[in-house]
Amino acid sequence: MSETEPQAESTARSSATTTGETDERIREEWSDYSFAGEAKLSVEDLDVYYGDDHALKDVSMDIPEESVTALIGPSGCGKSTFLRCLNRMNDRIKAASIDGSVELDGEEVYQDGVDLVELRKSVGMVFQAPNPFPKSIRDNITYGPRKHGDLDTGLLARLTGRDDSETADELVRRALEQAAIWDEIEDRLDDNAMGLSGGQQQRLCIARCLAVDPDVILMDEPASALDPVATSKIEDLIEELAEDYTVVVVTHNMQQAARISDQTAVFLTGGELVEYDDTDKIFENPESQRVEDYVTGKFG
Amino acid sequence: MASATDTSVVRGDTSTYETVAALTVGLAAVLFFLGLAATVELVSITGTLAGLPTLTTLGLLLVLMGVAVAGFGLLSYRGVFPTDPRASAGVVAGGLFAGLWGLIGALVAAETLGLGVVGAVAGGLVLGAVGFFATALPREDIGSTLPAGALAVFFGLVFLLGVVGPEWSWSPANFPDAQAVTFFAATVAPFAVMASSLVVGWAAAKAYGGFGARGRHLGAYLLVYLNAVSIIGVLVALVAFVVFKGFGPVTRGVEIGLGVGPATTIGLFGFGFDIVWPVSWPFLMNGASLFTDITGVFPAIVGTIWLVIGAVVLSVPLGVGAAIFLTEYAEQGRFTNVVEIATNALWSTPSIVFGLFGAAFLVPRFTPQPQKSLLSGMITLGFMLLPLVVITAREAMIAVPDEYRDASAALGVSKWQTIRSVVLPAAMPGVVTGVILGVGRIAGETAPLLLTMGGGSFVGAGQRAKVLDGFQLSLSPPFVTNPELTQAATALPYQLYQVILTGTGETAGVNDVTAFGWGTALVLLGVVLAFYAVGIATRQYFRSKLTYE
Repeated sequence: MSETEPQAESTARSSATTTGETDERIREEWSDYSFAGEAKLSVEDLDVYYGDDHALKDVSMDIPEESVTALIGPSGCGKSTFLRCLNRMNDRIKAASIDGSVELDGEEVYQDGVDLVELRKSVGMVFQAPNPFPKSIRDNITYGPRKHGDLDTGLLARLTGRDDSETADELVRRALEQAAIWDEIEDRLDDNAMGLSGGQQQRLCIARCLAVDPDVILMDEPASALDPVATSKIEDLIEELAEDYTVVVVTHNMQQAARISDQTAVFLTGGELVEYDDTDKIFENPESQRVEDYVTGKFG
Repeated sequence: MASATDTSVVRGDTSTYETVAALTVGLAAVLFFLGLAATVELVSITGTLAGLPTLTTLGLLLVLMGVAVAGFGLLSYRGVFPTDPRASAGVVAGGLFAGLWGLIGALVAAETLGLGVVGAVAGGLVLGAVGFFATALPREDIGSTLPAGALAVFFGLVFLLGVVGPEWSWSPANFPDAQAVTFFAATVAPFAVMASSLVVGWAAAKAYGGFGARGRHLGAYLLVYLNAVSIIGVLVALVAFVVFKGFGPVTRGVEIGLGVGPATTIGLFGFGFDIVWPVSWPFLMNGASLFTDITGVFPAIVGTIWLVIGAVVLSVPLGVGAAIFLTEYAEQGRFTNVVEIATNALWSTPSIVFGLFGAAFLVPRFTPQPQKSLLSGMITLGFMLLPLVVITAREAMIAVPDEYRDASAALGVSKWQTIRSVVLPAAMPGVVTGVILGVGRIAGETAPLLLTMGGGSFVGAGQRAKVLDGFQLSLSPPFVTNPELTQAATALPYQLYQVILTGTGETAGVNDVTAFGWGTALVLLGVVLAFYAVGIATRQYFRSKLTYE
């Protein structure tokens, strides 16, 4: 995933930052985007470096709640890096250094004393390749809550009468129904998740993410490893989820972004956010020439 | 031969040619296994085979094969069969035949013609060069068949003409008397047969495939296949030999029926009840003393089982813990590299070194007077097993996909919980594999036990290590004591060593020391295989939890 990006970055950097003048022009274009209501996530002047590579340059954007925000752009443009900053998954990459501010409901994410457990409970993530644990479907769903101590179905709990098995069953059912996969796997909850098809695995991963009850769901190209039928199921699901959750989706596929998202941010090579606006506007009448070239397929 | 279907894709009718070539390949395989059987004296070189003296039969078969293979080459060269040879058999094959023919040239010049060292060098160089150029220069069908066929014919004639007869032997003159070496026909002939049948089989397999890419593939396939089969053959022969020799002594006096067996008191901390076994198996249930009719190895079996259990209990938690630290927590760098090199080196350290360490460090520590003990033996073997557990557990954890760790981290689960609930279960089959391999080694280890555990080689059944019974509770520290652990115990490999080497058996009432030794070896084999079975079942259990079937 993002490990591959730094290499692409270095070649692209020189071409993107030709003059300071273009940077200014682009900046004015996107910063006007405004929406009604509070921002769920608010990013301010975010810079990310992988060693010497400047992977993300001075990105600022506000993400409204209960909507789908698509991040599009060519490979290596920093969109996955941006996504992984929102739940601090980039902390896991040793070479990455992050500068700037990300606020979740007005609370700064990058400050001392942030509880990563709580942060990642509220900001869940779904990855490009389906990555269910090699456990039963039920265990996959209950994994997060059990590890957070919200569910206890262990032997000791059963003996002492504090058994949460019923809550767990309800949770499994709710999560799988929300992920639109309950009907397909209802009677095989104790089978190993590795036996599901790719599309089912990905919806299971979404259900696993929903089980910890997040506010925001980050998805890193969630359908790029799937066939068209599974992809359309995932897309329908994303649109449904946006009624209750704030969804941020990274995608390569511009048609997908146009279909499912409410607003779209276009990253271009060099790690800049070039334009961020309503999806219709981005695809029909973008401000920036470069974005128009990109969405019409002339470039990228 | 050529028919309407003879195109570049579909070859014409080659059934006769292929049948003969396949028969030659089969003959080569049979000869190879005859040679292999002769090395372990299943086929006697001095006896007869198929009605003729063994060497005559082998010689006839070799000549027949050699002529057949050379015939394939010549017929293919004349275009009688539709084959697809390359321009040359290649430098590797050339080098091989240069070596084989050079060796023959040197030996013949020096020994048969009596030309001395100079003659040996000259003869070796000349025939080696001939072998090389005969292989590498002509077209592939000639180059890979004629030198091979000639080799088989040469050895066949050597056997047929009686140059090497059943009683033949050769003592190279250059060795001083004290280091005299003698080659006997029983040693040399099987290897000559195996070498020539390998090269002839290879050539015949190439001919069967019509040379070219397909022929080379089949030639290589034959060599690999024979290699694999002979490895399995050696293994089977070894086990069969031990079973054959040990079965009699082990099963002597076995009785089955209610109440025939010995009574056992099962108990822990003083409570117990008696059961009477429905089987009487003296070799497995008796110890050795002057009063037992059939001496047995029961105390040694118990000792070995406790040793393995102790070593595994000691090394698995430590080893897996170290592997977790090295893979998941430690910064990958110089430190982890050094640890990795150290663990690898530790695993290849000779076991006697561990034994010396145990003797110097552990033996004096558990008792007022230095005393070899079961506990010292367990800890020493545990230290021996430790590096392998670290190495395999580390490999297994590295092989766990990072996607699982990412997924767990994205759910807000802490690193340690991720390791415990995701990484370790996924790595478990690999860890168990490592333990299985290690147990095989330590269960058969003798040298460290010699120095750390001792124990008489012939111990009465009553003197076995009663570890479970030995636990005693007390009100003062250390609260639980077990004198059984600090006493000398015996184990199967140690007992085997004593019986075979020192022949101490007669004084302890063992009538046939050799038979007793073979019986012990068979029991040791059985115990190790039983541990393997337990390990494989465990691995299967962990694996079944990871996969969908």
